[in-house]
Amino acid sequence: MKKTMLVLMLLLVAFSPAFAAGQQEQKTGDVTLNVLFYSPELAEQYNDMVAAYKAETGVTLDITVLQTDYRSVLTSRLNSGDIPDIFMSSAYADNSTYKDYVYDLTDEDFIKKIEPSALQGVTVNNRILGYPFLVQSHSFIYNKKVFRDNGITALPRTLGEFEAVAKKLQANGVQPFATGFKEFWVLPQTAWQAIAEVPDAKYGGFENFVSMLNTGKLKFKDIPEMSQLFDLLDLIGKYGGPKPNESDFNDQTSSLATGKVAMIHQGNWAEDSIKKTNPAVELGFLVGPTGDNAATGGIMFDSNQTIRIAKDGKNLQAALDFLRWLTTSEYGRNWIPGKVKQLSPLIGAAAPDSQIAQETTSLLASGTPGYPWFYQMFPTGTEQQLGAILQGYCAGQTNRSQTLDALDATYAKIAKAAL
Amino acid sequence: MTQLNKKQLNRALVFGAFTLPALLAILISVEIPFLMSVFSSFTKWNGLDRVQTFIGLENYKELFFDDPDMWKAMLFTLTLTLASVVTTNVCALLLAVLLDSDLAGKNVLRAAFYVPNIISLIIIGYIWRFIFSAGFESFYQSTGVEFFMFSWLGDTHLVFFSVLLVSVWHSLGFYLVVYIAGLQTVPRDLIEASMIDGANRFTQFFRITLPLIMPSITVCVFHSLSNGLKAFDVILSLTNGGPGTVTTTIALDIYRTAFVINRFGYGTAKSVILFLLILVISSVQVRAFKQREVEV
Repeated sequence: MKKTMLVLMLLLVAFSPAFAAGQQEQKTGDVTLNVLFYSPELAEQYNDMVAAYKAETGVTLDITVLQTDYRSVLTSRLNSGDIPDIFMSSAYADNSTYKDYVYDLTDEDFIKKIEPSALQGVTVNNRILGYPFLVQSHSFIYNKKVFRDNGITALPRTLGEFEAVAKKLQANGVQPFATGFKEFWVLPQTAWQAIAEVPDAKYGGFENFVSMLNTGKLKFKDIPEMSQLFDLLDLIGKYGGPKPNESDFNDQTSSLATGKVAMIHQGNWAEDSIKKTNPAVELGFLVGPTGDNAATGGIMFDSNQTIRIAKDGKNLQAALDFLRWLTTSEYGRNWIPGKVKQLSPLIGAAAPDSQIAQETTSLLASGTPGYPWFYQMFPTGTEQQLGAILQGYCAGQTNRSQTLDALDATYAKIAKAAL
Repeated sequence: MTQLNKKQLNRALVFGAFTLPALLAILISVEIPFLMSVFSSFTKWNGLDRVQTFIGLENYKELFFDDPDMWKAMLFTLTLTLASVVTTNVCALLLAVLLDSDLAGKNVLRAAFYVPNIISLIIIGYIWRFIFSAGFESFYQSTGVEFFMFSWLGDTHLVFFSVLLVSVWHSLGFYLVVYIAGLQTVPRDLIEASMIDGANRFTQFFRITLPLIMPSITVCVFHSLSNGLKAFDVILSLTNGGPGTVTTTIALDIYRTAFVINRFGYGTAKSVILFLLILVISSVQVRAFKQREVEV
């Protein structure tokens, strides 16, 4: 009994405000930055970076890493005043979502060390509102060994060529695609790539294209090229195994790694997961088809994941110092290519030791178009909602014209609320 | 007379004073936030901007006249609720009768049925997602039964039954325990008396047991009803509302409106409607069921 009481008393003391205050006093000497990041697949790399920063500068990064509920946690923390000093978000539409909270980085010296093309997504009215964290690309990833074993030597670039390859694989008893249709983010990535050449060719560029959609001047149902998008989804669904609507990210990466399927639509971030299943896998990157025009087929290449600094944070200067360190220090410059193994947005950065990143670089060097992630310019929330509508199309819930109507109606509603 | 009144008033005041701390706590932690969210439902607010724009009844107008997706979600929620209330309670009651009899190993069985209830629904959703896809695929490979090759989570018609199965499987144990407790309160002598009067087991069950465990039924139906109307976590992890929007429940729709599309004002308007709906349905149900309860 006495013992229990003692334990209870101790607990009470431990959680009491007096004790907590004491702890805080201890810490005033050194700065602790509160950080909220996503992409838990990078947790090891984050921790490595935190340890290196602590060792070099003595500043502690108190880092929280979340994924699916990241947005809701960030929203409620911003709302309740518990604002993280450093947080992450997407580029483009998120510039306006968090406009009341982010620090304007335009005049910081280290911004000049970043590739101007990577800054495109975080620039609003010539002000730079975020720090592009890494550059990513998505398109079709294929298992080179499966292609070799089935005698496929010419890589497909058009929808017709993709279909021919899929037919050949299917005839040989290999499942051509793992769809990823169950993930709400894989579907739109796959789909919008199929019309990536349209905004530039017909609507005066991506920004104009999106603003025409936002104001309702342009409707999806008036874009004839939307048929390319549906054709591609149909193709992947048709050759996507017996349960195309149940395939998720794990299914995609593990099936590709083991050679059960030949192709998946994914980005360079998937390489790590694929290699965990099969470290010896040989991966290649395919040009995504935009209908039957081989010249416009390209890859989606952009810097979307963005680090933002809270302007009202107590440790604003320390947070800026962190970004400067990430941009200029030896460890910081090498962190993205060396540890995260993805493409760095810094000028003159080293090339990462990653098959897909390297294929991305060589595809772009050989003149393949690299399109921006223009669907990230759509108002916040459209990614998930339009993804669900496209998922309904893939599951046979709606036909093409119903899907187009639903896309238009939902887009108009979200745009109206967001703008 | 006045003396008595005064005394009564005094008593009321004293008792009122005793409830005051609890009342204050509830006011601060429940009622005031609730009223604040009712206020939010009249505004246009993205959850992040520092100002909320008051727009009157606009949100409610959109909700009632221009949001077919929400009404589809509402219809799905009501269908799922009805199906799960009936299935859960019938199954739980049957199992309770079985496990209340002298069955060998009934304690082990009771525990076994209760276990899923302890696990978080999110985890259960992921486990079943795995069973439906990878698990069923290996079953198919070893048995060749076509049933396992159906796309249980990818087919727009089948997915309803998958969701129903998982939610019933999860909640069965809880209602089972409540029903067993109810069955144990039924007096033995009444059963014996009916046996002497020549009632068979069916008559016994429907004429004596069932009316006497009516309070348990009221509780269980009430509980499963409000849980069904609020269904969220199992959907989120099992189907994420898909394929398309076929399994989007009203709670998931509200979550997405507020946290994904960043329309907090509109989201709270929807949740006010959900609140009213649950209030009306539950009170009608409790009233109707209370009338059928009998005292021994």
